[in-house]
Amino acid sequence: MAEPLLAIHNLHAGYEGQNVLKDVSLDVPEGALITLLGPNGHGKTTLLKCIAGLMKPSGGRIELAGRRIDGAEAERVVDLGVVLIPQGDMLFPEMSVYDNLKMGAYLPRVRKTFSEEVEKIYTILPRLKERTTQLARTLSGGERRMLAIGRGLLSGGRILMIDEPSLGLAPIVIDQIYEIITDLKASGRTILLVEENASRIIDLADRIHLLDTGQIVWAGGGEELQSNQQILETYLGG
Amino acid sequence: MKYRDLIIFAILLAIAIAFPWMGVKRYLIASALIMFCYATVVSQWNLVFGIAGIFSLAQVAIFAFGAYTTAVLGRYMDLTLWYAFPIAGLAGMVFSFFVGLACLRMRGIYVALLTLAISQVMFVLIQTDSACSPLNQRDNPATCVSFTGGAQGLGGFGSFGWRDVLGGRNWILGDYYTMLALLVVALIFTAAVTQSRIGLAFKALRDNEELARSRGVSVFKYQLIVFAASAFLTAMAGGFYAAHFGAVGSNLVAFPLLLFLISMLVVGGIGKAWGPLLGAFLLMAADEVFKEFSDWRNIGLGMIVLVFMIFLPEGVAGAIEAVSKRATRLWTALRRRSSA
Amino acid sequence: MNFFIQIIVSGLTFGAMYALAALGLALVWGAFNMLNMAHGIIMTLGAYYALLWAEIWGLPLFFAAPFAAICGGGFGVLVYFISAHWMLRQRNFEVTIIIATFGLGMAAEAGLLKFLREEFRTAPYSQPLSLGADSFLVGDVPVSYQRIVVWAVALVLIMLVGLFLTRTNAGRAIRATAQSRDAARLMGIPVKRVYVMVLALASGLAAISGIMLSSFKDVHPLMGGDPLLKAFIVIVLAGLGNITGALYAALLVGMVEATVKVLVADKYGFTAILVLVIAALIWRPAGLFGQRVVARQ
Repeated sequence: MAEPLLAIHNLHAGYEGQNVLKDVSLDVPEGALITLLGPNGHGKTTLLKCIAGLMKPSGGRIELAGRRIDGAEAERVVDLGVVLIPQGDMLFPEMSVYDNLKMGAYLPRVRKTFSEEVEKIYTILPRLKERTTQLARTLSGGERRMLAIGRGLLSGGRILMIDEPSLGLAPIVIDQIYEIITDLKASGRTILLVEENASRIIDLADRIHLLDTGQIVWAGGGEELQSNQQILETYLGG
Repeated sequence: MKYRDLIIFAILLAIAIAFPWMGVKRYLIASALIMFCYATVVSQWNLVFGIAGIFSLAQVAIFAFGAYTTAVLGRYMDLTLWYAFPIAGLAGMVFSFFVGLACLRMRGIYVALLTLAISQVMFVLIQTDSACSPLNQRDNPATCVSFTGGAQGLGGFGSFGWRDVLGGRNWILGDYYTMLALLVVALIFTAAVTQSRIGLAFKALRDNEELARSRGVSVFKYQLIVFAASAFLTAMAGGFYAAHFGAVGSNLVAFPLLLFLISMLVVGGIGKAWGPLLGAFLLMAADEVFKEFSDWRNIGLGMIVLVFMIFLPEGVAGAIEAVSKRATRLWTALRRRSSA
Repeated sequence: MNFFIQIIVSGLTFGAMYALAALGLALVWGAFNMLNMAHGIIMTLGAYYALLWAEIWGLPLFFAAPFAAICGGGFGVLVYFISAHWMLRQRNFEVTIIIATFGLGMAAEAGLLKFLREEFRTAPYSQPLSLGADSFLVGDVPVSYQRIVVWAVALVLIMLVGLFLTRTNAGRAIRATAQSRDAARLMGIPVKRVYVMVLALASGLAAISGIMLSSFKDVHPLMGGDPLLKAFIVIVLAGLGNITGALYAALLVGMVEATVKVLVADKYGFTAILVLVIAALIWRPAGLFGQRVVARQ
């Protein structure tokens, strides 16, 4: 088997002595859509933060194409090609939509092609094009999420991590967001997706990992999950 | 733990009482009593900043306010200073209460900036106060000074009066024990506040602000109480300072004194029970040792503050705590191993 | 009427100076919540640099000033690496950095007092406020061309900083860092380099502000203390981190100070500003310009 693009080995992490992640291992092969499923507050976001370099893990290894990236600064990790679309969007509220997108293409390797790439983003996310001069803080929740996704896409990179894309959105907007994710997958992007809600990803994911109180308790494909009544009931409330 | 603190306190007090009789030079007695004065101020500052978490820089201004109130009462009202001290304390409280009221709704950083500005305004107002005050005209119109004495400072308002009681040689012992008494009161007061409901409320707020708030701990009320209460002893210390030196000047509100006192707070350990005493002792001792290099004093003090904030933000008291904690852990581990 | 013109003239001058000083403070606070108490000493240094260069090399002030700004910026970088850089991880950074830079500023000030005590200049560039070749009349009030230069320099610099912040990648990186630090890092912005850059920029502006100050005040080791506190008042009044607000607040503070100085007495200028800021904060704790916190999320 080929080496996975992103590999996490026995990761431990926590805040001030409290263990949030315990011995988490996970592989993300090139071109796959891998999901991390589980209730809130069980370490999903912590895992993504550790990978992105916003947090330092207390043990274990994170490797990108065989190269260790754990403990590296966030700005270095994104330069290596790991892009995080964070929970709660984390936009630049006092900047225009266009400037927010431009910040996504801050790295020299993507800066030069920004003017072409941004047009592609506008075709994927046409709503953004209507709002280019508007300040980010004046956008609606769905628009903010789209801007966060667009900004993340402009960072290029080899792997895209999306933290709870459906959080706090109306069902119809969630549908739109998941359409975009489906298209991204179809275009061959490598994606690590964090979700709380199983129904959205069950058909989409190549592999699903169930995270409960900081440990991966189950992993498998969407169909396996659907047929595993016990898992569904215990962790995902039926 | 509390027992240990009490024993340390008793030993230190015994040493302080015996100190003048140990054959030390007179100027060391004078230095020690100034140290008591500063330690009093810093202990009250520690209460406001370290315990209550209000980053106020007005402590020096309150100290100066107390000194000036004492001086003015003694000079213009011919008040015996023993009556002037409590009035100065109360005046300091009122002053501090209004400062606290102005700062109440502000974030910590704003409080620091505003209290700093208040100190500076006080300094400017005293420094530029040069018009001859009618109250001083009776002395000698040619040398008439302004109400606060302006840049020259103000004197001629009396002293503790120990000279009349103890005589020309031993009066300093009177000053010494008076100042020591004030420090003891200040330390007991600080300990009492820290152990009281108010102290516990602040501890709760520090540990978990949301929880404390949801239980109805009102920050504002307690902050205002601490702000005002700590000002009483601070202003008293100012009054005692004025009485000892027989003069006050604008240097009491100037930055060098603020720097000196903040060094004591920082070196001792902000928020640590023994911090102020430790800091005052260490810095007064350093001041004594490096007397010949006095033109380097503020350079050195500034660097000390900087270095401590970078490497030892918890001060010497914090470092001792950490070391002793580690030692205890090591000790118990060793004991467990030997018993196993 | 003359009073009125006099107030406007000196109010604009104070305002221009405070604006440059406060702009730097606000930028640094915005970028990483550092209130730089050593900002005042950089103003002093700026005035000294310009003075010494102008005198030693015989340069006209116009050429000495940019050098002084660069030196001031360099000192800002130094301030970062001997204080903030080691403290970024402290839990109470906002508070500890104030104390640390206070110590640093006092040490630097004491150092200047020790080594430059002899280099004292009485308002080296000040020009007489009488009508001559260097000034013109507005109403009955003589206004020196130097004042016009001060205003123009301030205006141009503020506009340049504005362009820098909105039109360049480095400037956008500064704003992005101020608005959301973690998001900026996720974009690949090296935030520590941004901190250094912001301090350099702010300190350069402070140095220029110090030179402006020496156009009507004595050059002296302690000259920066007073305008530093006023610049702090300006950013508090504007709401910390509100950069455009700081410019308006600087003008307001300058005008109030000038009004009190002209109509009441010189020494009450600072008191009036203080009363203003306390009143403003009781009435509007988040700053004069509304609840909106502009630079922070």
